Amino acid sequence: MSAAALQLDGVRSGYGEAVVVRDVALDIRPGEIFVLLGKNGMGKSTLLKTVMGFLPILAGTVRIAGEDVTGRAPYHIARRATAYTPQEQALFQDLSVDENLRLAVQDDGRRREGLARVGEIFPFIPQRLRQRAGTLSGGEQKMLLIARALMTAPRLVLVDEITEGLQPSVVQRLAAVLRAERDRAGTAMLLVEQHVAFALEVADRYAVLKLGEIVDRGAAGDPGVERRIAAHLSV
Amino acid sequence: MSKAPERAAALPAVLRAGAGRRVDARALVVGSALALVLVVVGPWILPDFMVNNLIRAFLYAAVALTVDVLWGYTGVLTFGQSAFFGIGVYAVGLIFTHLGFGVEHALLAFGAAVAGAVVAALLVGWLAFYHGASPLYASVVTLVLPIVVTQLLYSGGTFTGSSSGLSGFDSFSLELDGWFRIAGVYLIAITAATWLFVKSDAGRVLVAIRENEPRCEYLGLDISRIKIGLLAVSAVVASIAGYAFAGVQMVVAPEYAGFVFGTELVIWVALGGRGTLIGPVIGTLLIDVSTAYLSGNLPFLWKLVIGMAFVLVILAAPEGVGPLAGRLLRGRRDRAAGLVPDLRPIAGSGVTEPVDAAAALEVRGVRKRFGSLLVLDGIDFTARRGELLSLVGPNGAGKTTLLRCIADGGERSAGDIAVNGRSIERRPPHRCVGLGVGRKFQNANTFDALTVAESIRIARARVERPSLWFRAAGLDLPQAALRVMQATGLDQQLGTRVRHLSHGQKQALELAMVLSLEPSVLLLDEPTAGLTKPERTLIGQILVDLARGHGLCIVLVEHDLDFVREISSRVIVLHQGRIVLDGTVAEVVDSETVRTIYSGVRA
Repeated sequence: MSAAALQLDGVRSGYGEAVVVRDVALDIRPGEIFVLLGKNGMGKSTLLKTVMGFLPILAGTVRIAGEDVTGRAPYHIARRATAYTPQEQALFQDLSVDENLRLAVQDDGRRREGLARVGEIFPFIPQRLRQRAGTLSGGEQKMLLIARALMTAPRLVLVDEITEGLQPSVVQRLAAVLRAERDRAGTAMLLVEQHVAFALEVADRYAVLKLGEIVDRGAAGDPGVERRIAAHLSV
Repeated sequence: MSKAPERAAALPAVLRAGAGRRVDARALVVGSALALVLVVVGPWILPDFMVNNLIRAFLYAAVALTVDVLWGYTGVLTFGQSAFFGIGVYAVGLIFTHLGFGVEHALLAFGAAVAGAVVAALLVGWLAFYHGASPLYASVVTLVLPIVVTQLLYSGGTFTGSSSGLSGFDSFSLELDGWFRIAGVYLIAITAATWLFVKSDAGRVLVAIRENEPRCEYLGLDISRIKIGLLAVSAVVASIAGYAFAGVQMVVAPEYAGFVFGTELVIWVALGGRGTLIGPVIGTLLIDVSTAYLSGNLPFLWKLVIGMAFVLVILAAPEGVGPLAGRLLRGRRDRAAGLVPDLRPIAGSGVTEPVDAAAALEVRGVRKRFGSLLVLDGIDFTARRGELLSLVGPNGAGKTTLLRCIADGGERSAGDIAVNGRSIERRPPHRCVGLGVGRKFQNANTFDALTVAESIRIARARVERPSLWFRAAGLDLPQAALRVMQATGLDQQLGTRVRHLSHGQKQALELAMVLSLEPSVLLLDEPTAGLTKPERTLIGQILVDLARGHGLCIVLVEHDLDFVREISSRVIVLHQGRIVLDGTVAEVVDSETVRTIYSGVRA
C-alpha cells in the first residue's frame, strides 16, 4: 500500500492565541480529489495555510507522501511536489505572465510542454505571455494562478476557492480539467470551495468544517449529500 | 424588518462592557502626573550637566513624537521635521540678534516661528501629498526640505550667520531649572495630547491611511488634506520646540535645521519603537543623554558603545525598545481590540435628492486605453434610480475597468459620466463619493490592522466627523450595513482584528463599509465571492430592498448567473470592451449570445 498523499493527524493551529483549526484528521490518497466545505471563518483556508507551513502548528502531525513535514518551512514543503494556490492574490504583479510561469518551472522543455497543456484550458495564457500579470483582469489572474500550479506537475495541490470570480463556462470546464489532470498524472488535490455544485462534481470525497472541526464527511456521490451539506451551510 | 434594532440591542454584555469613552484614561492621568512630579523635582536632585542635557533631550523628544505620528501611525516617512525645528530656532536667533530681546520681540519671534512653520508645512504638504503621489516621492520631498533650508541659511551671509550661525544675543533671563520645567511640561503636554489623539477615532483614520490609502479615498476621505493638516500641526509642535531650544541655548546653527538631524530623529523613533509614542520619547531621551555622557567620559570609546547598543537593539527587538518593554509589562494582551462600541442603526437616508425620473447614472461614449490596448470601446448606457443592473461578461471583458471609470474621474480616456445629473468630470475618487458613488472592490479591500468596528467608523468618517480625543461609545450605521453584518455574523465580531477574518467575512465587511457611506449609486464588484449560498441569498435580498425600497441605483458585477437572475432588474453583457446585450433578465441571461460567449450552458 502506498503512503497517503496527505495525512493529517490531530492538527491544531490558529493565529496567536486564537485556535482556528482543532484536531483535524484527514487522509488523502494519491490521485484523490478531496474538497473542504463550510461556512465563512470556519478554518478552511487556515487549514491549507497550516499544511503549507505558513502558520505554526500547535499540535498534531502533517505527512506528505509519507514524510513527516510538521513544522517545516513552506519552501521545504513546496519541494515535496506540493503546489498551493491561495485565495488572495499570489501572482507577481509586476512580472509578466511568462516570468510568473518561469519562476514555477525553470526547465525550458518542461515549461513548453506544460504551457501547451494549460494553453488548451486557458487559451489566453500562451497568447499573452508578455503582458504584465498585474494588468490581467481578476478572473484571468485566477486562471494564471491555477495554470502555474498545474505546470509544476505536483503530486499534491492545495487550492483555495478556485472558482471565485471565474465565468461559468470556465468553471464548467475546470471540473473536467482537474479530473483529467488527476487521471493523467495521479495528482492528489485538496480543494476549499464555496461553490457546492462544482465541489461535488469534481471531488471524490468531502468534509465539512465547523468552528475548526470536521463535523461531517463522506463520498461526493452519496445519495442525499447535497441536502446534508446545505443543512451544514445554512445560517 | 424590525429585527435589526433588536439584534443590536441584544449584543452580549461582554461586548458592551468594553465600550469606553476615554481610552486608558487612568493610565494617561497616572503617567502624566508621575512625569510631572519628576519634572518638578528633577532640577533639585540632578546635577546641572544632566539638567542641561535633559532640556535638549525633552525638546528633541517632542520633535521625535511628531515623526512617530507621521511615520509610525500615518505611514509618511519624513526626514524633514528638523527643518521645522530649525525654523523655530532661527525665528529666535534672527529676531533677537537683529531687533534685540524684549517681550514684544519674544512674542514676535513666537509668532514668526508658528507662522513660518505653518507656511513651510503647507507648501511642502502641497508638493508632497497631491492626489496620487507615491510615498517614496513624499519622503524625498521631506528630505529636500531641510537641505533647502540649510542652503538658505548658508547663503544668508551675516544676516543668518551662514555656516557658523548666530550667537551672543540676549534671551529670556530664566535659570536652567525654569527651562527644565518648561521643556518638561511641554513634552508631557504634547505626549499626552498626542496619546489621546492617536487612540481616538480620528487617530484610527491615520492608521487606516497607513494601511490602505486607496480604500480611504474610495470612502470619501480627502487624504491630501488630512496629511497636509497633520504636517502643519506637527510642524508647529517642532517649531515651538526649536523656539525654546534657541531661547535656552542662545546659539543657533544650520545643523539644527539639517537633514542629518532629521535622519537622527527617524533613527531614534525606529529604535524606540515606531507607532508607540512612548517608545520614541524614551528612546530619544536615553540616546541623547547617554551620548552626552559618554562623549564626555569615554571620548574615544563612546561611538563604539553607542553603535553596539544600536546593533543589540536591532537584533533583540527589531520593533524597537518600546514594544518589547510593553510586552514584558503587560503580556501580549490586545487592548484596543477590547473597545467595542454599540451599534446604533439609523434610518439610512437612501437617496435624499428630490424624487424624479432623472437618470442616476449616465455613461456616454466611455473609452479606456491601457497603452495600445483598448479595454473599453464606447460604452453607452443610462441607469435610473431603483434599478439593479447586473454587468456580466467573460473574464477580461472590461467590467471592473468600467466600475473604476465611474468611481474615479481620472480613469477614463474619453467620454462622459454623470451621477445624479452632475458630470464627474475629472474628480478624484473621494470627490466622486461626494456625488453619491460607493464602490466595493473585487478583492476584499480592508484595513488589516483595524478592528471590524473601527473599519465601519472610518467608513462613517465622511458623514460623522470622528472625535479627536476619544472613542465614541456608539456607532451609527445605516440599516442596510447592519443587516449585512448580521447576515454574516460580523456584528458578533466587532472587536476582531480584520486580519483575523476569513476572506468571505472581509468581503462582507467591505460591503458594509461601502453601504455605510449611504451612496445613491452603488458599484459592487463580485460582492458575494467567497460567501456561502445562504449568505449570498441574504445579501441579495438586502440589495433588492436597497434598490426597490430606497431607490438606489446598483451596478453589480457578478458571475453567478443564478444570483443575477434572482435579483437583477436589468442585465448588460460586456464582451471585449463593448456592450453586446442590454435588456431584462429573461431577454439576456438565457440568450444564445450569453450562452456562447459566457455561461457555456447548453440548452
